[in-house]
Amino acid sequence: MDIAVKKKRNYNLIIGLGITGFFLLLAIVGQFWTPYSTTQMDAMSVNLAPCVSHPLGTDNFGRDILSRVMSGSGMTFLVAACTVLMGAVIGTIVGAFTGYFGGWLDEIIMRLNDILLSFPSILLALIFLSFLGPGTMNVILALGILFVPSFARIVRSEMIRCRELDFVKSAKVMGVGPVRIIFAHILPNTKVSMLTAAAIGFNNAVLSEASMSYLGLGVAPPLPSLGRMLSEAQSYLFNTPWYAIAPGVAIILIILGFSMISEGLRAMQR
Amino acid sequence: MKYIIKKFITLIITLLFISLITFTAFSVIPGDAATAKLGTNATPEQAQQLREEMGLDDPIPVRYVNWLAGALHGDFGDSYQYSGVTVAALMAGRLPVTALLALMSLVMILVISVPLGILSARFAGRWLDTVINQLSQITMAVPAFFLGIVLTYIFGLILHWFQPGAFVEPGEDFWGCAGFLVFPAIAVALPKIAMVIKFLRNSVLSEMPKDYVRTAYSKGNKEHRVLYVHILRNALIPVITFIAMVIAEIMAGSIIVEQVFGIPGIGRLLITSISARDYPVVQAIVTYITAIVVIVNFIVDVLYQLVDPRVKAQ
Amino acid sequence: MGTLFNVSHLSIGFAENGRMNKVVDDLSFSMDEGEILGVVGESGSGKSMTALAAMGLLKPDAHILSGQIHFDGKELLSLSKDEQSRIKGNDMAMIFQEPMTSLNPVMKIGRQVGESLWLHTDMNKKDIHQSVVQALADVGLNDPEKLCGQYPHELSGGMRQRVMIAQAMICSPKLLIADEPTTALDVVVQEQILQLLKQLHREKGVAILFISHDLNVIREICDRVIVMYQGVIVEQGRVQDVLEHPQHEYTKTLMACVPAAEPVKDRKNPVLTMEHLDVYYRENNGGFFKKKGRRRVVRDLSLQVYDGEIMGIVGESGCGKSTLAKTIVGLNKDYTGTLSVDDSVRPQMVFQDPFGSLNPARRIGWILSEPLRLRGIKDKSERRRMVCEMLEQIGLDESFYSRYAHELSGGQRQRISIGAALLMDSRLLVADEPVSALDVTVQSQILRLLLDVHRQRALTILFISHDLNIVRRFCHRVAVIYLGEIVEMADVKEIYAHPRHPYTKLLFEAAPGGGRQPEKLPEPEVPEADAGGTDGVRSEGALTSGQTEHTCGCAFYPRCKYRTPRCQSQAPERINVSADEKNPHWVKCFAAAFGRQ
Repeated sequence: MDIAVKKKRNYNLIIGLGITGFFLLLAIVGQFWTPYSTTQMDAMSVNLAPCVSHPLGTDNFGRDILSRVMSGSGMTFLVAACTVLMGAVIGTIVGAFTGYFGGWLDEIIMRLNDILLSFPSILLALIFLSFLGPGTMNVILALGILFVPSFARIVRSEMIRCRELDFVKSAKVMGVGPVRIIFAHILPNTKVSMLTAAAIGFNNAVLSEASMSYLGLGVAPPLPSLGRMLSEAQSYLFNTPWYAIAPGVAIILIILGFSMISEGLRAMQR
Repeated sequence: MKYIIKKFITLIITLLFISLITFTAFSVIPGDAATAKLGTNATPEQAQQLREEMGLDDPIPVRYVNWLAGALHGDFGDSYQYSGVTVAALMAGRLPVTALLALMSLVMILVISVPLGILSARFAGRWLDTVINQLSQITMAVPAFFLGIVLTYIFGLILHWFQPGAFVEPGEDFWGCAGFLVFPAIAVALPKIAMVIKFLRNSVLSEMPKDYVRTAYSKGNKEHRVLYVHILRNALIPVITFIAMVIAEIMAGSIIVEQVFGIPGIGRLLITSISARDYPVVQAIVTYITAIVVIVNFIVDVLYQLVDPRVKAQ
Repeated sequence: MGTLFNVSHLSIGFAENGRMNKVVDDLSFSMDEGEILGVVGESGSGKSMTALAAMGLLKPDAHILSGQIHFDGKELLSLSKDEQSRIKGNDMAMIFQEPMTSLNPVMKIGRQVGESLWLHTDMNKKDIHQSVVQALADVGLNDPEKLCGQYPHELSGGMRQRVMIAQAMICSPKLLIADEPTTALDVVVQEQILQLLKQLHREKGVAILFISHDLNVIREICDRVIVMYQGVIVEQGRVQDVLEHPQHEYTKTLMACVPAAEPVKDRKNPVLTMEHLDVYYRENNGGFFKKKGRRRVVRDLSLQVYDGEIMGIVGESGCGKSTLAKTIVGLNKDYTGTLSVDDSVRPQMVFQDPFGSLNPARRIGWILSEPLRLRGIKDKSERRRMVCEMLEQIGLDESFYSRYAHELSGGQRQRISIGAALLMDSRLLVADEPVSALDVTVQSQILRLLLDVHRQRALTILFISHDLNIVRRFCHRVAVIYLGEIVEMADVKEIYAHPRHPYTKLLFEAAPGGGRQPEKLPEPEVPEADAGGTDGVRSEGALTSGQTEHTCGCAFYPRCKYRTPRCQSQAPERINVSADEKNPHWVKCFAAAFGRQ
């Protein structure tokens, strides 16, 4: 009997990294160079359909959409990176110590975590923004705080799982101190789940930032933002549908890229 | 029974806790009812006098207890932005719309995703599964507001199946209102349908290699019976918890989708109130959303106990 | 008698890294109606594959490459899935190793056991229920009516295995395939299950294909045996012939196994002293509402371990022996009484599960360097030299330095664990079931390594085990623990020759190949401590989990054959029944004290 045996390739990870890499490149280039100015209005070329000089067309103020998408993607990545970093660092520290030591502080913090995690992040971001008021920094702050529980939970559950494993007990018997056990012995084991959580975090951050900006609570004008572009485009939907399509597709692809990366990472774990 | 009581006490504590936190947060941010009521022209003395009349100078715990006592009777105070209108009246007008929207999307999600999820797991690795899988992955990446815009463009502006921006109150014409809500409900439901399909599929697949499944086959069960009699009940247990999350997600989604389609619901009220710094309204809506999320979680805990016999033993 | 089951030229392979890896290679054997055939071999020898292939239960990545399996006149591999499922559970049934996970957790026992009847007969609901109740009674379960309405998590491991057997036997199959059915169970429960299988075989004439890694179990139950090694049969024949006169090299290594310790010279320096030690175990369920339990798992334990000896500790799972080990090495601080360890010995521990005891995210070199870093050796190249030296000493080589734990076999991992303890310069090794997760041949290698380091370094070893055969040869002294108490303690030779405590006797008789002629004892079921509340399932003489905290009287009273009214109300003190002052034989039993047996 002939059985073809093929090693399955991790297409999710490859394609996800490809998409994300492309947009990251676009965003980085957009910080230094765009085909046109992102804020300069041009009364001569208002609402142009995609053409050679404006590949994605222009908006109602005559601004080049491609330039604004490039620059807006940069904003999206910046907000996402800041929030995920903030969530990961604080979450890791909180999760590591509460998980490893346990006790009543752990119980209280985890109860709070559970409550926070039962709310969707967009909803919580809205609630936070209603205290803090709209604005780019406030969006970063709100989302960053929101991501703390999910990272804390992952690190904590790894801590609890590993705490009961024999290799940690054997380190304890040898006399390794708790801080070294947490950071040198257990934390390297959380690498893949942390990466997965980061990818999911990016996914959520992009979606939340775009939603907040769409609702007018996020990145403030005149800075370009994909979500705000969409809300402006909605008013001209009948005459210039391409205005909505460009930022919408950009958001979808960025989210898709991150979700494929997280899928791929999860497949690696198995 | 003991289990349910415990969960109920947790529910009450959580509600009190969150309302206290939000109340405190809204109390410390600048801008209060007195200045809002008097407008920018008032002198500080006038504002101070009104503050004392309204009891705004009392310490936060006293004000919280007063607010809570009012809230329990459905009295959340007056709105700042619409003078003379109570928060309760504002919300009462918008609640049915949002509730109908949420219900319609929930039904869509359950009716579509449960069969598709099972189908996808049953044919795991085959073309049907691959198609469902790829579609859900892409659908999950589409933000609800963009989906709403696309639906408006295709079905509203091109095909003229509905008129963007038009609306009837459910009190006037229930079915007419439900008709207007079909596309918004699709916009809310579609990304969540994809999530539930994926979750259910993974849940079923993770049960498949388990020992009890092997035992079921060893008794002479055929594949479909193993799936429907043995695996499904085990696989649905985690899905119940997931549905609770989905319900919370529906509420988040509907806030945004109401904005896209211009539906006068709770979500739209929340956004305008946040922009207008109309804190009594925001506070009331936040409390209302919290209550729903917490109550849904409570119901799930109770359901859980009915479905999983192991919970009782713990 | 005719041939019931015949395998001819069967080959099964797994696809791995683009290569077909054969696990069963051109296998042929046959068995008669009503025969008990044993298949023995270590993990990976392919012993379960044939059975799984016959039942159509192979994992999707296993492929049948060639061959035929005939059962009762039909060729199973050529049947359609529907035809196969008409045979499965009806003429041919199977029981599995893990009784804890092999039953559907959300389906009531009655429905699970009756499912085969529902599938294969047209009996009505009432008749099925009657048959289920009868089948549960047949396998020795009390109160089957009540049992029908219970869920698997309410039952102990032994009870679940009985339920599995009832479920397999309910359609009166001609062939019962038992895949390591007792491996996950304690010795006493194992013995009960073996007796039950024998009884069913006698009464119903069912043929049994008994798969096991344990020659002693095979010896006890089988007529004929097949020895498998790397996918082929290396030897077969009548059990007595094969076991007494093994022909093949592999069978001989399987038989040889446990290396013996040299006698200890003199016991002078106690390195570990425990007096009236009570150890508690905190049951932390988490949550604000849940009560935190504090259970006493070791009670009034007094024991001295002397420099350079190998002390064995035996007992069933849940008896507190692992908690005791953790307490000695300082992992559990919740105890009262005296526990003093000589400072110079630096006790280290070797754990049971080789897969959990090494950090999966770090290389072996890093893991072995950790003890040296702790000892303050700062020079990197010095550490590396010492680690490589140690790798040689534990029978590995330098190439392991840069590997990860998942690249190592179970035996190699246990070697690393032992090496890490030695690098701590430890002279007291607490070994908690260090070889029970390993194959027999690997077991003897690891035991030999332990003996080597014991000899070279005058290492003291506290050897915790449930395997009475290993303890008999490997240890100098033995303490038998029952529910956290030492009920008997003496020199190995003395205790195996003259066990005095009824519990020790019960253990020795239950152990396959470990005891002498069986003397019939009442054999109540012991639910595991973690099985959850099962009060009143087994009625008389049953030990329920809540009973671990007894107030007065002898702990063994509920299961004891020799019990008297006095045993119920008064706990026996430990007494020395040996005339030899230097080698005391301690027993906690009134009957032993009076010399009555």
